[in-house]
Amino acid sequence: MSVIDSVIRQPLVHGDKNYHDITTDICRPLENKPTKLWWIGFVLSFLFFILLVVTLTYTTWVGIGVWNLNKTVMWGWDITNFVFWIGIGHAGTLISAILLLFRQKWRMSINRSAEAMTIFAVICAAMFPFFHMGRIWVGIYWVFPIPNAFGSLWVNFNSPLLWDVFAISTYFSVSLIFWYLGLIPDIATVRDRAKSKMRKYWYNFFSMGWTGSVRTWARYEIVSLILAGISTPLVLSVHSVVSMDFATSIVPGWHTTIFPPYFVAGAIFSGFGMVLTLLLIARKVLNYQEYITVGHLEAMSKILLLTGTLVGLAYITEFFIAWYSGVEYEQYAFLNRAFGPYWWAYWTMMSCNLIAPQVFWFKWARTTPWFLFMVSILVNVGMWFERFVIIVTSLHRDYLTSSWAMYSPSWVEIGIFLGTFGLFFTCFFLFCKFLPIINMSEVKSILKNKE
Amino acid sequence: MENKNKYWKGIEEAEQHPEFVKSKGNEFSDALPIEEMLSTLDDDLSANRRDFLKFFGFSVSAVALAACNKASVKYAIPYIEKPQNVTPGNPNYYASTCASCNSGCGMIVKTREGRPIKLDGSNESPVSSGALCATGQAGILTMYDINRLANPLENGDEQTDWAKIDKKIISKLTSIAATFGAIRIVTSTNNSPSFAAAVNLFKQKYPTTELVTYDAVSYSGILIANEKSFGKRVIPNYNFEKAEVIVSFGADFLGTWISPVEYTKKWVKNRDPKNGKMSRHYQFESILSLTGSNADIRVPMKESKEGIYVISLYNEIAKLAGVAQLAVTQNAELAGNQIKNSAKELFNAKGKSLVVSKSNNPEIQTVINGINMLLGNYGTTVDLDNYSNQSKFIEADFEKFVNDLSTGTVKGVVFVNCNPVYSYHNSAKLSEGLKNAELVISTSISKDETSKFAGYVCPDNHFLESWGDAEPKNGLISFTQPTISPVFNTRQVIESLLTWSAVMPENAKAYNFIKSNWASSGEDVWNKSIHDGVLLKPELTVTIPSFAANLSDSVSKIVSSLPKSDTPELIIYQKVGVRDGSMANNPWLHELPDPVTKVCYDNYLSISKSDAEKNGFEQNDVVNISINNIRISEIPVLIQPGQAQGTYAIAMGYGRTESGKVGKNLGKNVFPFVKTENGSYTYNISGPISFEKTRKNYVLAQTQTHHTIEGRDFIREASIGQYKKNPAVKNENKLNLISLWEEHDYTKGHKWGMAIDLNKCTGCGSCVVSCHIENNVPVVGRDEVILRREMHWMRIDRYYSFYDDGTILTKEKKLNKVDASVYDNISVVNAPMMCQHCDHAPCETVCPVLATTHASEGINQMTYNRCIGTKYCANNCPYKVRRFNWFKYNDNDKFDYHFNNDLGKMVINPDVTVRHRGVMEKCSFCIQKIQAGKLTAKRENRKLVDGEIQTACSSSCPSGAIVFGDKNDPNSQISKLFRDERSYHMLDEVGIKPAMMYMTKIRNTDTTI
Repeated sequence: MSVIDSVIRQPLVHGDKNYHDITTDICRPLENKPTKLWWIGFVLSFLFFILLVVTLTYTTWVGIGVWNLNKTVMWGWDITNFVFWIGIGHAGTLISAILLLFRQKWRMSINRSAEAMTIFAVICAAMFPFFHMGRIWVGIYWVFPIPNAFGSLWVNFNSPLLWDVFAISTYFSVSLIFWYLGLIPDIATVRDRAKSKMRKYWYNFFSMGWTGSVRTWARYEIVSLILAGISTPLVLSVHSVVSMDFATSIVPGWHTTIFPPYFVAGAIFSGFGMVLTLLLIARKVLNYQEYITVGHLEAMSKILLLTGTLVGLAYITEFFIAWYSGVEYEQYAFLNRAFGPYWWAYWTMMSCNLIAPQVFWFKWARTTPWFLFMVSILVNVGMWFERFVIIVTSLHRDYLTSSWAMYSPSWVEIGIFLGTFGLFFTCFFLFCKFLPIINMSEVKSILKNKE
Repeated sequence: MENKNKYWKGIEEAEQHPEFVKSKGNEFSDALPIEEMLSTLDDDLSANRRDFLKFFGFSVSAVALAACNKASVKYAIPYIEKPQNVTPGNPNYYASTCASCNSGCGMIVKTREGRPIKLDGSNESPVSSGALCATGQAGILTMYDINRLANPLENGDEQTDWAKIDKKIISKLTSIAATFGAIRIVTSTNNSPSFAAAVNLFKQKYPTTELVTYDAVSYSGILIANEKSFGKRVIPNYNFEKAEVIVSFGADFLGTWISPVEYTKKWVKNRDPKNGKMSRHYQFESILSLTGSNADIRVPMKESKEGIYVISLYNEIAKLAGVAQLAVTQNAELAGNQIKNSAKELFNAKGKSLVVSKSNNPEIQTVINGINMLLGNYGTTVDLDNYSNQSKFIEADFEKFVNDLSTGTVKGVVFVNCNPVYSYHNSAKLSEGLKNAELVISTSISKDETSKFAGYVCPDNHFLESWGDAEPKNGLISFTQPTISPVFNTRQVIESLLTWSAVMPENAKAYNFIKSNWASSGEDVWNKSIHDGVLLKPELTVTIPSFAANLSDSVSKIVSSLPKSDTPELIIYQKVGVRDGSMANNPWLHELPDPVTKVCYDNYLSISKSDAEKNGFEQNDVVNISINNIRISEIPVLIQPGQAQGTYAIAMGYGRTESGKVGKNLGKNVFPFVKTENGSYTYNISGPISFEKTRKNYVLAQTQTHHTIEGRDFIREASIGQYKKNPAVKNENKLNLISLWEEHDYTKGHKWGMAIDLNKCTGCGSCVVSCHIENNVPVVGRDEVILRREMHWMRIDRYYSFYDDGTILTKEKKLNKVDASVYDNISVVNAPMMCQHCDHAPCETVCPVLATTHASEGINQMTYNRCIGTKYCANNCPYKVRRFNWFKYNDNDKFDYHFNNDLGKMVINPDVTVRHRGVMEKCSFCIQKIQAGKLTAKRENRKLVDGEIQTACSSSCPSGAIVFGDKNDPNSQISKLFRDERSYHMLDEVGIKPAMMYMTKIRNTDTTI
């Protein structure tokens, strides 16, 4: 892989770093005592994680009735959160796999954290299909192939929920392997720098005996490429399958063929939104501005602009098709989204997802971190509302008007949602503390300043 | 290369030492001392290693298997000696009489292993004709009510010994009678010949005794008017089936008025457009009643002015008949000249028309009699010979009793099946008076407001534990037989009365006493009557009575009592289900949504939209009301379309202070508002009403909150004129959808289907309760209903449409903009809704675990054991009929209804699983009944007969709107209905191929008949 570096291009890593600088910079948070800021963030996240444990235990102990779902709206915040987190889990693999295949070198300083985010987000997401079940203890029978005495009990291959199980578990395992593989050389670096015995032992264990020989490096490169190849279709497939939970149904507002591409665009949009949010914090807190440069931020905001507009296009297409189909239920479902009792959710979604990213046509907006941070938060909010709009406003008024109902969450549902952030950030803080959040070995390969 | 090397264990083997050869087979060189050791312990224990392993394996697996088993079932006790006719698993059926209200419907009690589990209407009784209303069916749970009295009470303390109590009561009664103190037996309308006989014996023993009838709801207006007009103090037999034109002034004869099941059965006979002729039904009323919602022409009317409208109707008819009109200054007219129109149509249908009124004013009822007389309806639609005994209450008698109590002349009172301290308007006076009495006995089956004032409570048996007879109609004797031995230490009232009358204990037994009363008819007649549940005497030939009332006197009384100005009025009405509140502790009735308002669990102030705007009220606002210094605080507001402007209505039967835990303090008691006018109670109180809006908000638990069809096609209706031109009106567009799914093969066996006639369904809710009972549907309570989580497998959707200048409005957007007065012109469709058992069921494809699948007979089945509760099926159901077990609804103190105690659980149908929390459930087409029917046919080696298998809903429907059957049988009723031009699949365009068909509603609304 011989790549010609342009001399006029901005270097991808600023600050005139050399190899040693990179190693020390990136290993610093691992080797120093955690900062006060880290402790505050971690404890706060952990408290929310406890909230998650409490609310989930309560739900499982007493019943799904502690949520405010009803006979008409049987999916609410649970599945909204599921799709939200799954969507967030898309950026990591996209960055590491697709951008790897496209040889986008700038990805190198952000892919590690994006992949970590993916894994944590998928964990948060995968929880919901479990806990939204009425009988989670029986549900485990079909998710895991435990032998049972029910006779010829077989799953229903027609059901998109089953496809979900396959799609998500595949995605999770491939993402995890990909992430871990990329970590091995860096873990070895940390191992080599370790001073305490304990530290050495564990990092040695997880580095799987990495020697850094040319042969291992060659294999490492090949496996990375293969995994990238495997991951690439997954980026597209997972959210397509998730979208089929809705698209294959007959609920007006769900029953739409546009869903798979629309959901994938939305997932990448929300994923990058979350990556931006996280990295903007991380680069500030960990002082990584020279690695995660404004150039990175700009590149990501361009992707936000593209995918946000795509998503917006999908919204408008849906509306047009509802009118064009001539199906009165479809027409009503979409008018109801925009002008019904949940209009505020719809217009929040519209303004956050379609209108907000349009500021990225301006370079100032793309390169001003505090402004970017605000927009990235809006994107996260907007994408959550997108799922809420799709799920709740379609369900709450469907065919027979007698069953129309409203839905608002109970404290337990809100607690679970906040709790998933607790889980996510707890994982992320631990990740920041124990693993290098930037891929040292890869970043070293893109230094212009080669000694 | 072959290896020829040999290896030895030792030198002995190499040498093949004889001793070695001998011991070669042994595993151990020396014999192990196990045998020896064991034999020293016990000879029997000796076992070799293999046996030991066998035993070990066996015992381990046995212990493992035993550990898998749950703890033994505590309450299943097998028969030591099997009783005759009782086979575990097979139901037994007994004919009996329903006593939940005074109608006296014949019923069939289904019992399983000695406990009644379901009540259905009896075909033998002309009152029920095979159907039972919601209230009647729910009566079974009153027997399994945990709040029932288990023992008699003496001054509030439980006593177990009846003899002791009897002794004290007898001595007190004797001393009262000896001092010539009056004794009164106060009973609700009782038409039992045996009860009357028992009272006579009681009177013989205590000559100062008199019987006083007291009902919470009075029909004395009709009784007194008939006495005045014809000299007969009876309620006539109304033959709705013979009436081509019906005009009802507020009488809710399909819902609550006198004998609703009987009237529904009769009314519906003339409502089939197939005959080319449908009756024309006018309803002039204030509240939107169930009957009004089924009328062809419904006009809002202020009840306080009913008198003048009735007189005007008389005059209009008199004009047509060319007879003298009644003298009034001016005839009144309702919107759309409907008095004139109805007069014309009534007159054209002379002798085949019927005018009824809810009014309890004898003068108005006299004019009604005059109208029916003028129309020649006596002898055809109104029958005074085969009259009804369903109400005998005359206020004057009871008022006298209350006065006598106050003055202290009445010394002893026995209350039978009535609760006047709750339902009497001047309850304070009554309860004060009761303190003057020396002896107050209540026979209530559970503690109630009246029993609080009783020194002795001698709890009656529930009617399912009793022997009895009743004569609801002249010549119709309906028998009651026990279907379970008394659950508690209770005693039938008849036995109590006889015991206190010092009748020989053997003769005092209810069975012996009642049988002896019918001894003259002979043993065979008795046996047959008990078997059938009824004894029908030949109907009397109907005579045409002569009208003797002075109409002009009535008219002047009516005119003078008309409200002077346009004052607001409060209407107290009976709600379907809860009725007069005597069954207030029955959770099934509270969970049953009101057929019109769809509110569960409460009563409320029902007002028109115009009045709401005028007063600044919104739905769920809480107001205080006071009229004539009587005040009700904090009652929630419900805005009811179709209600007459200026009228305010609250249902009776709520606000019980002494009831079980379900009914206690639920809603507000409005009986104190009831007024006496012209000697009769009036449930219409006009006069200054002051409202005081509080800042509170009380959410009413409604199962339906959107009330119109939004211009959609799933409810189809047409006028009879349109139907005559084109029987397939509204169903012309047959869809030709292409399906991606493979069709099921139904060529063999059965294919179950159901047809629901929107034209026949009145929305009475009988099916909802029937399904609730049959399928062990849990009761979830008010809070859960507010969260829209009612568990009813079947519901009745009620849709309004409004008329504004000839256009029909059903869209919310437009309705929000129109004037409030548009909400007065309403028409209603009731659509029973349950699982449609789609051939291409959307729920089946999305279930990840195949918990819901399609059966070979076309039924969409739930397998509860497989269900993991993803709820996807319910989301994907376009009819929203799937219900999810959000909580564990049994043995859960949060749901403290009958599933939470062992007594209440006795009503559970053993053929239907009680569902676990976290699983989905829905209508199964009563699969247990289908299987039972098929098995019976198979055992009898014959084919199934059409109509033999009925679902709970179809069997309970008083109007026959629900028909269930086998589509594969071309001659079945269902096949015929499916071929009818009126039939259509609801939401056919979704392509899910439901197994149910609905039939277009036809209204007789064309201007000329």
